[in-house]
Amino acid sequence: MRTATTISAIGHGAVLLWSVWSLTARPLATPMSDALPVDIVSASELSQITQGIKDAPKAQLQKPLVEKVAEAKPIEDPTAKVVEKKEVKAAREPPPAPEAKPVQAKPEEKKAEQKPDESRPDKKTAEAKPDQIAQALEKAESKPEPKKVEEKAHAATPPKKPAPPAPKFDAKRVEALLDKRDPTRLAAAGETIHNTASFGLPSGRESQLSLNELEALRARLAQLWTPPAGARNPQEVIVVVRIRLKPDGTLAAAPEVLNNGTSPHYLASRDSAKRAVIRGQPFNMLKPEHYEQWKDIEITFDPRDMIRG
Amino acid sequence: MNLSRRMVLSGGAAAGALLTLSPRRAGAVLKLDVTQGNVQPIPIAIPEFVAVATTDPAVGRNIGQIVSSNLQRSGLFAPVDPAAFIEKINSIDTLPRFADWRAINAQALVTGRITQSEGRLKAEFRLWDVFAGQQLHGQQYTTTADNWRRIAHIISDAIYERLTGEKGYFDSRVVFVDESGPKERRIKRLALMDQDGANVRYLTRGDDLVLTPRFSSSADTITYMSYGGSDPRVYLMNIETGQREIVSNFPGMSFSPRFSPDSQRVIFSLQRGGNSNLFVMDLRSKATTRLTDTQVIDTAPSYSPDGSYICFESDRGGKQQIYVMGATGGQAQRISFGDGAYSTPVWSPRGDYIAFTKQAEGRFAIGIMRADGSGERILTEGYHNEGPTWAPNGRVVMFFRDPGGNAGPGLFTVDLTGRNEQPVKTPSYASDPSWSPLLQ
Repeated sequence: MRTATTISAIGHGAVLLWSVWSLTARPLATPMSDALPVDIVSASELSQITQGIKDAPKAQLQKPLVEKVAEAKPIEDPTAKVVEKKEVKAAREPPPAPEAKPVQAKPEEKKAEQKPDESRPDKKTAEAKPDQIAQALEKAESKPEPKKVEEKAHAATPPKKPAPPAPKFDAKRVEALLDKRDPTRLAAAGETIHNTASFGLPSGRESQLSLNELEALRARLAQLWTPPAGARNPQEVIVVVRIRLKPDGTLAAAPEVLNNGTSPHYLASRDSAKRAVIRGQPFNMLKPEHYEQWKDIEITFDPRDMIRG
Repeated sequence: MNLSRRMVLSGGAAAGALLTLSPRRAGAVLKLDVTQGNVQPIPIAIPEFVAVATTDPAVGRNIGQIVSSNLQRSGLFAPVDPAAFIEKINSIDTLPRFADWRAINAQALVTGRITQSEGRLKAEFRLWDVFAGQQLHGQQYTTTADNWRRIAHIISDAIYERLTGEKGYFDSRVVFVDESGPKERRIKRLALMDQDGANVRYLTRGDDLVLTPRFSSSADTITYMSYGGSDPRVYLMNIETGQREIVSNFPGMSFSPRFSPDSQRVIFSLQRGGNSNLFVMDLRSKATTRLTDTQVIDTAPSYSPDGSYICFESDRGGKQQIYVMGATGGQAQRISFGDGAYSTPVWSPRGDYIAFTKQAEGRFAIGIMRADGSGERILTEGYHNEGPTWAPNGRVVMFFRDPGGNAGPGLFTVDLTGRNEQPVKTPSYASDPSWSPLLQ
């Protein structure tokens, strides 16, 4: 029994060992892909991007509100109707509304009456029409009083527009009252204190040195740097330059070369890199508010990617 | 709930920010990699050299102009128009007013002085980095008065090397076949000139047909093929003394000669019957060694700069292709695999590339490939381009181009990018150029 267990254990161990050694999967070949510049946004940065401060931009927000207030009045009328109707309507509107209908109706009646006279012999139907109109007339004459009452009631709405007494209770005022309290929020965390308030615009992430600034700096230097094309050992043309900048983006001191070499290619590359840094100033693509971050930069000029082609 | 979540978030973020930023703060350095540069020519200002005392001012002016045109032809420099100069250089011992040169956008400035006395010429120059406000290089040379052109070339080389890191190639010569007369009765003479086309000198009178002149590494001897007698032979000639001698006195046609890098041997092909093979002759012992033994045409051999390999063209695979084998013969390896026929391989003095002529679809191109056959690149293409030869620094190729019709061939240079192609001024039609090494 014991021997069997031992043999079994040894056998299993051997198989395991063998599998570890021989069955290790070869990693799949991953094709090299071009690097894409990616901006990694941290939670604090994200909150800064999306954060808004109510104080600063109120003016902008209020403008649309003001416009809406003027239009909004008619909607609010229902509440005011009761008060105003009785006072104003009665005097102004009764004449126009009722007159319009009778005037239009009468000419039709007259024409209708004339036409039947001319065409009497031809059309029987024509004779019937005057009867209907006459009836309508009679009805109209008999119902003026009730209609006027109704019309007065309708007319009650228009008078409100010309005379807008300030409503004592306004929803907007309630909001204003609420806003008067000082807004409370967590202070935005950032590397440097930056007092300019932003209202959550995409450019709101101002306290961080952005990839765009670095990319612009890199592009400027690449444009000015002429690397030696023919170095046989590309390693020897790598130049590391440290620059210290003033807040206005100009060099505070001559560029300091951190590595050294003796080959002609290195010397040419080094001088070209120094020239590029000197010619590139002022580096005004770097925003002054991030000065703390870019006042001291170490730049590696490495042309190997260019030479390889 | 909302509030607490936010606190946690911002707290975590702050910690993260601290973690990522703290090492940066310690170094107080922002790191940036610049992996791309610009291959724009460097603007350089070259005022005329100051002529001291009795020196003819024209000499100073001419030297400045030669340096300027040399650098411009290289394609790596853009000399600034002298009309734009603000400061007039009167002395090379005082600092130039760099602001004046920055204003006209010159990145480098060359100031020089020429002193002539008793037939001797002293030339001094300084190369300044205008933006850094530093002297990059300073040198003086003394020579005979009539050698002022060479002085200009040597100064050009010094500037070129200091600013590009490459050896220069201006102080060098070219031997070529000068072609004159009507197309039916072309007279072909060997001719020698400076690389910029100046100082043309004829080495033969044109009685015999001459072809494929090649420089030795010492720049004072050439080898070429000539139809002197019945069969074409390979000759040597000392270009200073004009002395000639026959290298190969064998039955059969010997052609396509070239020196070994140490100039002790000449390699050539020898045709017998329908095929030709490669041979090498030791110039001292006159011992000749056969390198290939095939029933095909092996020709146009060229040594690698260290002398350990030979590249040549052969049609052993059916079509002309380029092969590489050891300098003592043996198994040859084909390195050209593109469409078309490859011929006239020439190994660069730097050893990194082999230049060739490629014929495909009725067009002739000049191209380069690495010694293992990779990285093939066509530099120029057209009706007829042939005979590449390398500048001493291996960055420029000279070749001849025949436009066809009644016109004759002319010489051109092209750099390794293929972008900077320039005609070379010759007195007449010219073909078969061979670039010398830098003069000693």
